[in-house]
Amino acid sequence: MAHIVTPLDQPSNYKDSQSRVDRQMQSDLLSKTSTLYVGNLSFYTTEEQIYELFSKCTTSEDGGGIKRIIMGLDRNTSHAEALACLRYISGTKLDERIIRCDLDLGYRDGRQFGRGKSGGQVRDEHRQDYDPGRGGWGAQAQRAEIERRREVEERYNDAQDVPGAVAGGGGDWKDVSENPLKRARSPDDEGEGGRGEPRAKVEEPEHDPGRM
Amino acid sequence: MSYHHHHRRRGHHKGDYERPDYYETPEQRLRKNIVQYGEVDPAQELPRLANQIFEHAPTNVPTVTEGFRIGVTEQPFKIPYYAALLRLLYDRPVSEEVTTPLGRQVLEDFWKAFREFIDKHAWRETRLCVHFFAHLTVARVISAKSMYELLDAFKEVILNIGSSHDRSTKAALCVAEGLLIAGSAINEDPSLDIPALISAVQTVVEGGGGLPTKLLVHPIVHLHEIRGAFIRAEPKNEPEHAEEWLSCALSVLQALKAKDFAQSADSVPQPYLDYPSLPGELFDLEAILVPPEVEEDGTEGKKGEWSQCYVRIFDDDITPDPTTPVGFILRSNLIDILDIFEVNRKECARLLLEYPKWALPGTFKSKSGAPPQSPTEGKGWDLENTLIETILSAMFLLPESTHKSIYYIALITELCKAQPQSVGPAVGKSIRKLYALLADGLDVEIAHRFADWFAVHMSNFNFIWVWKEWIPDLALVPQHPRRKFMRQAVEYEIRLSYHDRIMRTLPEAMTESTAQVLAVAAPGPDFEYEDAAHAQHETAQGILNLLRGRAKPDDVMLHLESLRNQLSETVTENIDTLLRKITVQSLLSIGSRSFSHFLNAIERYLPLLRNLAAGQISASGSPSAEARGDIMSAVALVWRRSKHMVLIVFDKLMQYQIVDPTDVVAWTFMHYPKVVDGRKEGKVFTGFQWDLLKAALDKANGRVSVQKRKVAALTREADERAARVRANESAAMEVDGDAQLDAAPAGETPQLTAARNAIDVLDREQKAVLRRTMEGFLDCLAVLSIDKEVQEAMSEHKWHNRANWEDKMWEAWETWGWFRNWARTYSSYLSKHDTKEMLEALATSKFPSPDHSAARQFRVIWNIAVGDEPYWDNPEDP
Repeated sequence: MAHIVTPLDQPSNYKDSQSRVDRQMQSDLLSKTSTLYVGNLSFYTTEEQIYELFSKCTTSEDGGGIKRIIMGLDRNTSHAEALACLRYISGTKLDERIIRCDLDLGYRDGRQFGRGKSGGQVRDEHRQDYDPGRGGWGAQAQRAEIERRREVEERYNDAQDVPGAVAGGGGDWKDVSENPLKRARSPDDEGEGGRGEPRAKVEEPEHDPGRM
Repeated sequence: MSYHHHHRRRGHHKGDYERPDYYETPEQRLRKNIVQYGEVDPAQELPRLANQIFEHAPTNVPTVTEGFRIGVTEQPFKIPYYAALLRLLYDRPVSEEVTTPLGRQVLEDFWKAFREFIDKHAWRETRLCVHFFAHLTVARVISAKSMYELLDAFKEVILNIGSSHDRSTKAALCVAEGLLIAGSAINEDPSLDIPALISAVQTVVEGGGGLPTKLLVHPIVHLHEIRGAFIRAEPKNEPEHAEEWLSCALSVLQALKAKDFAQSADSVPQPYLDYPSLPGELFDLEAILVPPEVEEDGTEGKKGEWSQCYVRIFDDDITPDPTTPVGFILRSNLIDILDIFEVNRKECARLLLEYPKWALPGTFKSKSGAPPQSPTEGKGWDLENTLIETILSAMFLLPESTHKSIYYIALITELCKAQPQSVGPAVGKSIRKLYALLADGLDVEIAHRFADWFAVHMSNFNFIWVWKEWIPDLALVPQHPRRKFMRQAVEYEIRLSYHDRIMRTLPEAMTESTAQVLAVAAPGPDFEYEDAAHAQHETAQGILNLLRGRAKPDDVMLHLESLRNQLSETVTENIDTLLRKITVQSLLSIGSRSFSHFLNAIERYLPLLRNLAAGQISASGSPSAEARGDIMSAVALVWRRSKHMVLIVFDKLMQYQIVDPTDVVAWTFMHYPKVVDGRKEGKVFTGFQWDLLKAALDKANGRVSVQKRKVAALTREADERAARVRANESAAMEVDGDAQLDAAPAGETPQLTAARNAIDVLDREQKAVLRRTMEGFLDCLAVLSIDKEVQEAMSEHKWHNRANWEDKMWEAWETWGWFRNWARTYSSYLSKHDTKEMLEALATSKFPSPDHSAARQFRVIWNIAVGDEPYWDNPEDP
C-alpha cells in the first residue's frame, strides 16, 4: 500500500562509513538483512530493556526471535521482523529516549562500535551538546568509546571459537547483529546499587550532520 | 522536538543524497492529482479535477482508471467523492469522434481491475470496490438491477456449502456494506429480492446451528453462559461491552430495511445527489463468479475461522453504536484505515485525525475554536474516544489481532504526539473503563494485552499515571483481576525502565510491600549459595571460580565428577540434582550481567549443559526429564525476581536444545507454581505461565513450519532439476538421435530425505507438546472440579456475587480463562484429526463423569475450538 504514503520500513541513507562493499552490494544485503541498528540509546540502557521492547516485533511461530544483541545492534532472525521494528518501534521511546532503528548489513568485527569514520558513533563525532545519557560531550564520548571498545573486544573474543557461538552466517559478514551503543559496565559499577539519580537527560536537538 | 528534526532530515536527504526528483510525466501528475484529491476542500476541488481530466490530452483512460483504483482501494473515506467525480466524467463528450462518455470508459476499465481483485481473493479491495459501485448506483450511473446481481453473486458465495466461515464472512460484509450504501436505489425496484440478501447474511451470523463460536472469542467471559450452551444455542444474556461484527451488520440491515433504507442518506456522504440525472442507458455491471478458495500449501495453523468480537468501551452517546448504519460504516472505514496504513503509523495517525473532514457534517463534536455546527440529532460523537476505542478493539481482537499489538500501541502513541490535549484524555478514559471491566469478566488474554499496552504507552510518556485513584482497590483480594493488573503493569514498566524509576511514579500506599504492587527488591539474580553460611557455599564457590576463570568445559566436568564422589557421603539430597542446581545457578550467575554475558556463558559451556540435561556430567546420554526439570528450576530460582529473564533463558535453552518445548510445558505446569510463587499445590494457571507455555508451543510449531517450508523449497528444487534433465535428454535425442541415459537423479536427494525425516520427528514433538499441555490443563481443571465451592464459580449465581470472591475463586476463573485461550489460539493444531482423537481420549480418561459440570464446560470449550457438533445430551444443567 505504498501508493499513498511512504512505508516506514525503508532503509535510510545512513551508510556505514567503514564498510568496504559498494553501494549496490550494500543495498542488496540490506534487502535481506535481519540485523537492525538501534541508535540514540542511552549508555545506561541495558540489553534486557532492548530485548523487552524489540521482542514485541518478533514472531516466534515463524521461527523468529532475537538472536543476539551486540552493543547497540539487535539481531532478529528474520528480515520481516527487522522491518516490523522499523515500522513500529523506530521513533518511539526506550528508557525515555527516542530511539532510531535502521537496517544494518550485519555483524563484522569492529562493527559493534558504530558507523562513524573514526569507528565510533557518527552522532557522537559531531555532537556538540551535553548529553549525560551518552557520556557527556561528544569528545568525552569518544574517549569513553576507546575504553568501551577494549572491554567489548575482550568479551566477544572467546565467544567466537565456540561451536555454535555465532548462529550460522557466512563469509565476511557474520550472521550476527549488533547494537552499537551501550554502557560499558565495568565490574566496579555493579556494587553501587546500579542506576540511580544521574540519569538526568537532555532532550536532544539532533546535531547530526554526519547522517547523510 | 522530534518532529522538527524528522522534517529537517527528510528535506536534507532529498537535496543532497537522493537523486533529484525524476521528471514527472503529465500522466503521473494526473494520476497523483486524482489520488491526492481533496486535501483542501473536497467539494470545491471536484469540478476542477474533472476539468483537469477532461483537458488532459490525449485522453488517457488507463491513467485515470489507475488513479481511481488506488484512490478507492486505499482511501475508503474518499469513495463517495470518487463516485461523484466519476459521475462528472459523464458530462462532456471526450471528442467529436468518440461519443462514449469518459466516465463510462473509465468505469469499464475499472471493472477489469475489480475482476482482478476478485481473482486474487483480495477481499478488502473487493469490498471497497463494492462501496464505489454502490455509490454509483445511488448516483444513477450504475443500474440498480446489475448492482443487485453483483451482491447476489456474493450471496451465492455465502450459501455455497464449500465456503469456509472466513470466506462467508467476507462475502457477507460485501453484501452488507453494498446494501447499506445502495439499498435505497435497489429498494425502488420491487422485483429485487433484498430480504434474500439479508437472510444470507443471517445464515453466516447463525453459523449453521453449531455451537456459537463467539462464546470463545467474546471479550467478556461469563463462564455460566459457556456452560449454558449445553442447553441453549443462544446465550441467555449476551454480555455487554462487545459487539460481534457481522451481527452488527445484520442489525443494521434489518433496521434499514424496516424504514426502506431512508437512513442511508444520513449515514454516508452522497455528494453526487445534486447532479442532474444522466440521459441514456445506465451502466450495467457484468455478471461475476467469485472463484473458489485455493488451499495454500504448508500453511500451518489456518486462521480466521472466528467471529470478530470488538470490545466496546464507551457509551453510545460518546462513540457511535456499530449496530446503527452510520456507526457501522464509520467503524468499518476506520478499521480499513488501520489496516491499509499499517506501513506508516505516523501517516495513519494523521489520516485518522482528519477523518471528520470526510464524514457527514455534525458526525463528530466540533472542536473548541472551530465554527460551531448545528448539532445533529443522535450524533456529535467524540472523535478521539472513537479512534482510541476502535484501535483498542482491533488490538484486543481474539484469538489474535490482525497486526502485532505493538503496531496499535505505536499508533496510539503517534495520535497522542499529534494532539496531546485531546487524545491524551481519551487514552486516560479508555484505561479507566478497561480497568473497570477487569472486575466484570474481561478476558484474561485481553487483560494481558491491556497491561502490555499500558506499560509501553507509559514508557513513551514519562510513566505518568494517576495511580492514586486505584488505591482503594488495594483492599480487594490479591488475586482479583484489578490487583493482578496493577502488579503486571508495574512489572512490565520496570522491564522497559528500572525499578527505582517506576517506584517514584507510584504513591506511597502502593510501594509498601503489603500492597503487593511493586516487588520489594529491584529485579536481579539470586544466587542461592551466595550466603557464606549455606552448607554448599564452598562447593558453589569452587564451581563459580572455575567458570569465572573460563575453565575449559572438560575441566569443569572433571571437577564436578570429583565433587560427586566427595559429596556423595555427606549430602542427603540427590547428589546429581544438587550438582545440576549449583552448576546451572553458577553459570547464570556469571552470565547475569547482560543478555550477551549470558549467551556467551552458555555457549562456552554447551557441552557441559548437554551432558547435564542427560542426567550425566562428563558423559553424554539420552534426555532425562528429571535433569531438565532441575535445570529449569535452577533458572527460575536465579531469576525469580526478573521473570522475563526466565522467558529469555528458556528460549535460548530450547534454541540450543538443552531442553525441548515439551520439557518447558511440563515444567510450567508442574514446577513453576512451586519454584516461583512458592505454592504447595500447582493447580492454577496464571498469565506468566501462559507466556512460558506460549513460547514453548510456538517454538514447537515454528520448527514444524520452518521445516515444511524447507522441504517445499527442496522439492521445488528437485523438480526443477528433474525437468532440466528431461529437457536436456530430449534435446540430446533430437540432436544425435541416441539417448545418453545417464544415471538420472531419480527420486530424492539426500537432503530432501533428511528434511522429510526431520518433519516426522518435529511432528511427533509437536504432538507431544500439545498432549503435555492438555494433561496440564486437565490436571488443573479436573481437580478444581472436586472443590465444591470453586466448582460453583462457574454458576451464574456465584458470578453475580463475585464481589465477595476469595482468591481461590478468581484463580479458578483465571485458569479456565487460559484454557479457553489455549483452545482458541491453537485450535487449528488441536482440530487435526489424530491430534484431536488423542487429546479427547485423554480428557475422557481424566474427568470423573461426563455429566460433571466442569466436564461439561470443558466439553463446550473444546467442541467449539475443534469445530465439533454441539454436545446436547442430558440437558439437565445443575
